[in-house]
Order: sequence, then structure tokens, then C-alpha cells
Amino acid sequence: MATDILTCNFFELFDVPVAYELDFDQVQQRYRDLQKIVHPDKFVNASDQDKRLSMQQTSRINEAFNTLRQPVDRAIYLLKLKGVDTVQENSTTMDAAFLMEQIEMREALSEIHSAEDPLAELDRFSAQIKTSMQGLMQNFSECYAQEKLEKAQELIKKMQFMQKAGKEVDELSAKIEDELY
Amino acid sequence: MALLQISEPGQTAEPHQRRLAVGIDLGTTNSLVATVRSAEALTLADESGRHLLPSVVRYGVDAIEVGEAAIEHAVNDPSNTIVSVKRLMGRAAEDLISLGKSSPYTFSTSESSVPKIHTRSGDVSAVEVSAEILKTLKARAEATLGDELIGAVITVPAYFDDAQRQATKDAARLAGLNVLRLLNEPTAAAVAYGLDSGQEGIIAIYDLGGGTFDISILRLRQGVFEVLATGGDSALGGDDFDHAIAEWILLQAGYEAVPGASLVRLLIREARSAKEQLATTESVDIAIETDDLKWQGTLTQLQMRELIEPLINKTIMACRRALRDADVTAEEVLEVVMVGGSTRTQVVREKVGGFFKREPLVSIDPDKVVAVGAALQADVLAGNKPDDEMLLLDVIPLSLAIETMGGLAEKIVYRNTPIPVAKAQEFTTYKDGQTAMAVHVVQGERELVDDCRSLARFELRGFPPHVAGAARIRVTYQVDADGLLTVSARELTSGVEASVDVKPSYGLTDSEIETMLRDSMDHASDDMHLRMLREQQVEAERVVEALDAALQTDGEQLLSATERSNIDQARQQLVEVSAGDDSDAIKTAIKQLEGACEDYVARRMNSNIRNAMQGHSVDEYAGKDQE
Repeated sequence: MATDILTCNFFELFDVPVAYELDFDQVQQRYRDLQKIVHPDKFVNASDQDKRLSMQQTSRINEAFNTLRQPVDRAIYLLKLKGVDTVQENSTTMDAAFLMEQIEMREALSEIHSAEDPLAELDRFSAQIKTSMQGLMQNFSECYAQEKLEKAQELIKKMQFMQKAGKEVDELSAKIEDELY
Repeated sequence: MALLQISEPGQTAEPHQRRLAVGIDLGTTNSLVATVRSAEALTLADESGRHLLPSVVRYGVDAIEVGEAAIEHAVNDPSNTIVSVKRLMGRAAEDLISLGKSSPYTFSTSESSVPKIHTRSGDVSAVEVSAEILKTLKARAEATLGDELIGAVITVPAYFDDAQRQATKDAARLAGLNVLRLLNEPTAAAVAYGLDSGQEGIIAIYDLGGGTFDISILRLRQGVFEVLATGGDSALGGDDFDHAIAEWILLQAGYEAVPGASLVRLLIREARSAKEQLATTESVDIAIETDDLKWQGTLTQLQMRELIEPLINKTIMACRRALRDADVTAEEVLEVVMVGGSTRTQVVREKVGGFFKREPLVSIDPDKVVAVGAALQADVLAGNKPDDEMLLLDVIPLSLAIETMGGLAEKIVYRNTPIPVAKAQEFTTYKDGQTAMAVHVVQGERELVDDCRSLARFELRGFPPHVAGAARIRVTYQVDADGLLTVSARELTSGVEASVDVKPSYGLTDSEIETMLRDSMDHASDDMHLRMLREQQVEAERVVEALDAALQTDGEQLLSATERSNIDQARQQLVEVSAGDDSDAIKTAIKQLEGACEDYVARRMNSNIRNAMQGHSVDEYAGKDQE
């Protein structure tokens, strides 16, 4: 059984099915249980060798946890398990309508400063991005389950766009807050 | 060899005496030491009954004074009396100049690029000054507890960067302390509160000390403290309130010259006293009478509020950001814990309560709460509570990046990633025939390397020439549980490697630390040998005990006859050597035994994980009741 922390896949490590939909409560529970066994705090008085092993294993558990909990990273990882390297793959085409929407959103964001209540406006953007993201995640989940990997890859690209937009909204909010205080 | 012990919790608790460990809060203004005695964590007092040790060190004519004895000289001997040294930890000379508007010290840049403060007993670094404070606390603990310490948990602001953490660890080593863990102050405070109330949910820790501000958002569940996000400002604290008030006094008095060091110290002392009185009264009279300046006036609550409000607003903004990073709302926060002496200020409590829309918790003395939490963690780490469920999962406060073309910082480990963590990224060459690559490690959130903190530079040399873009250089960042970074680089087609422990350019080099340690211990070297021998003998005993217990449980199943005989042989060797008086030989024999057990340890670990993965709960496995 492939349960070696350093070699098994992230889904096996967290004892969840290899699928996009995730029981996040279970993942968190498993995270805590695994950490209680391998965390370096359990090896403070141990030999250097055990300490090193504990650090490697904890690092891997943290990497797995981070990958599983982030929607884009989880999707990329799932495709990687199928032998598709999304990071290297740049040939995916994007549909024009989606790109148009993105451009419009960027334009709106660049003018946000002059809005009546920029923070409220940004909150609205943030909610909109969350909704779009959820739709994309739903789509990805279905495509992945049906082995439509090319479509799945395109969805990852869209999610990456959305994630980037979300980050920009956050950064803009932070900047405007800075100016307010 | 804790790995060998994990499945025998009953046997690890063999009746050896309690291992003495302390928690130390190395603060900007005051420092404390605490320990767990009779199941309760208490701060330790000096012989006059004082718990707080002012973080002040004076390099006097014949002796070094620390604490109250030094504080009296802050005004009359400012250049030899170092206060708030924590603000100088892990900083470069140029950082100090910008901090130094009110600094009375003369800095000299030394060869190792560590800025040093010029005193009458020579040039001292911030690490050395901090070590004096730690030595005093160590001596206090050993005098109170009547035995040597096996180690200490030392707290640092969550927002400390790698350089500042490394400097703190160096100071502890210099003071002769074994650092069990560097623990983030807010996490320590959460431990102090969490264990008392047994609550579960999201907790915000607002920690405003003398010179640093931290905000941490934690999730507490089943004894696990999981830090979700942390933020703050490592150069903002109650000291800034004092400065703001002192500047106000100068302004009111119409004083236009640049005030001398003595006057600044005096004004700050008056300002602090006024601030402290205003925690309980509406207004306070201030009278300054020196050769330079005669002034008297009244500072009201309202006036002070106006002076310090901009500073508090900065902290509220950091709270907002931390909530966003943690992806929780202010409404989801169950409790807000106040830490640090500066949270005694009324305005601070009001503003924080207003932001989180709930009354902040102040039931544990905000000056002592961090030390108390650190002591609880130290007790667990020392192995005194083998069955304890408590576990602290911390994060890295600031992103770690690498310099790429055009002076850009490419993030490799993002802030708020749980630690320990390892992250690798591949890079390539940009010139034909290139055989070396410079690696510049930085920390911070900004896009340009120049706006980030430079941590280390090293070069990977001697890989075979390739056409541009064909070499594959994998750079790996490994952050340990103390939040300290190691970076390695490897050219994958040739296997050429290079690595560095990120010793920040502003810390001390290993050889500097060794020289200092040797200097301070020359006269005590015989004691040292005895002590090292005893330490190694105790360690050998523990290793053998753990191994025997493990072998008894599953040696049969997990080991072949040859492996077993190798282990037995190494064990025998260790037993024989530990009867002698050569500590190095014992150390080597321990290493050899550990080497012989390497595969066995890994197999035991995997069999443990397998059991956990098969749906057996970890608690059940550890022979404990399930929750």
C-alpha cells in the first residue's frame, strides 16, 4: 500500500477520493491527525536524523494541504496526476467572450479610484469574482470526472484569470484602505 | 529517538525526573521567564520579587548591569546604556540610521557588517546585548528552580523576518541556552488563554508591545492551534506613543534646537509615565525641569488620543488585512485576546473592541501572557507531557522570494504558508555557455528586490555550459519549524549543487559565535567538559532505552536477522563507550547506532502512518481515549 508520506499522492495522503470535489472538513481533520504524528515539535529531543525526517514529512503534508485547499492548485495537481502539465502547456486557446469580459473588468478596476464608494464597489467585484469562480470550479469538476481533459485545461486557465483578478481586487482594497487611514 | 518511542507512550513516561524547561519572552521594554510548576505556568521573580526584567543593559565601568540596575543610568549615561535593543535585532547599519532619530548610540560598522554600538567596554552587537538579558533570566531560572535548564522556548514577534529570528536564536546560543523552539508571541498568548478556557473556534490575537505590533488569526480545534494568517509591523509599538508625546511636549514648550540624548531620555520617561497614568485618569500634569528646558503643562486623555490615534489606525489596518488573508470576517472571530503592555492604553482597547465588535479579553496580565504560553509549550517540548494533545501549527509571516532578471522578486514561498515547508522552483540560464548562476534570496511582499529584505546571496558554479535556456537549475527553499530558511540550488543535468543556511548578512557568523562562546567560557572549560560528557551520557541512555522498548514491540516483525545483529552491535558499542569519559566518542557511537537504525525508524514511521491511514484514530493508536 502506497502510504509513505513522501511518495504517495496528496489525495491518498489525506485519505480522500481522487476527485475535484473535496470533503474539506475531512481534509482538515486528517491534517491535524497527521501533524500530531509527524510535526517537528514531537521530535525536539530526537536525533538529527529523526528531526530531518520529521521536517521532510511535515513539509510534504503542508504542501499537500496547501495544494488541496486552493481551487486552482488542486485542479492543476489533478491534471498532473493524469500526466498533463498545465504549467508548461501554453497552447490552450481561450474563448473570445471570456477574454472580452476580462478586459472589461480590468478597465472597470483601473477606474475604481474615481468611484463614489470605491471600497463598496470593490466588494461587489469581489463577490462577482467568487460567483464566477464557483461556476468554473463546478465545470471543472464535471469535465474532470468525464475525462474531458482538454476542456479541463481551458477551465484552469480561466480560473487562473479569475484568481489573478481576485488578487488585484484585494490589493486595490488594501491600497485604498492605506489611503483612508 | 522519539520516532522509536511514538507507539509506546506509556513507556516514554519513565519516571526520570522532570526536565526543566522555561519560556522566555524577550521583549522590547521588559523581558520575563516562566516555567510550569505543579501543572501551573508561572513567571519567576528576582530576589526582590520583581517579575519584569527591564530590557536594559548598561556597560558600566567595572561591570555589565541588566534590568533595574541599568535603567537608572538611562538618563545620565545614555551612550553606554542600551534600551529597546530588540528594535536593532537583525538590522543592517542603514536600517539603524533611519531608526535612529532619537538614538543616543554611536554605531560603528564592523568587518562582519553587523552594526555595533560603541560603548566604554568596546563595540557590542544587538545580539550580544540581548544575550546579556537572556543570561540574566537564565540565571534567575536556575537559581529559583535549583537545577540546570535543558532548554528554553523563546518568543519572537510573529512578524519578525528571517534575519531577526536568526539574530534571536544567536543571542540565545550566546547566552548558553538550548533553544527548543522559537515561538511566535501571539501563538504563545493563544496557548496561555486556550488551555484555560478550552474553547474552539477562530481567535484573534492583538499584540502591541513596546516596539512591535503583531496580529494573528488562529483556529483552535482539538488541542491544535492553527495559525491562519499573521501580520503586523516589526517597528511599531508603545515606544512610538512615548515618542509622539515627547515630541508634543517639545512643541508645546517651543523648544526648537535638536534635543540632546539625555533630554530625549528624560522626556520619554516623562511621556511614558504620563501615558501610564492616563490609563486610569482623565488628565495628568507634567513638569520638566532641566538646564535645557523648563516647562509644565497638562496632557488630557483627549489630547493623547489625538496624538496616538494615527498609530493605532495603522494597527487596525493590519487587522483588516490579516482577516482577509485568513479568509474570515470580523463577525466570525470568537475572541480577541489583548497582549502587550501597550494594550493597557484605553484608546487601544476601545479601537480594537470597536473593530472586532466585541469586548477584548484581558483576564491574563498582558505583560505576562506571552511568557506563560511559552512556558506551557516548553514543558510539552521538553517531553514532560508525552500524552499532551497540544500542537502549534505556525505560518511564515513574509513571503520568501528569489531575484530574477530585471531586479524582480519572484515569490517561492508565499506568506501565511504553514511551516515547515519546502518549495522548489526551476530556473534556467539566459546566456549561451553560462556555467554559473547567482542566487539572491529576499523576503517581503513587494515586487522589486530593492524593496524587499535581502537575506543571502550565493553562487552555483561549475555546471557544464549549455545554450541559453537549456540548463535546468532547481532552487529549493526549506523553512524549518522555527521559521528559519535554508536554500539550496542544483543544476539538474549535471548534478552540481550549492546550498546555504540563510545566515543573514546582519547576524553573526558561526565562527563569530564560536569565538564569543569560547572567550566567555575559557575559564569554565573544565566544567564545560564535564557537562558535555554528562549530556552525552544521558542522551546515550535515552537512545538505548527507546531502542530497547521499540525492539521489544516490533523488532521481530520489522527487522531481518542481519539488520538486527547490526543494530545490536552498534547498541553494544554505545553502551561500552558511555561508561568511559570521552564525550566525542559517545556522540559518534550515538550517531552510528542511529545510522544502523535508519531503515528501522523509517519502517516504524510508515507503519504508524499506515495505521493512522487505515482509519484508526491517532488517539487510539497512542493508547488514549478518543475525543
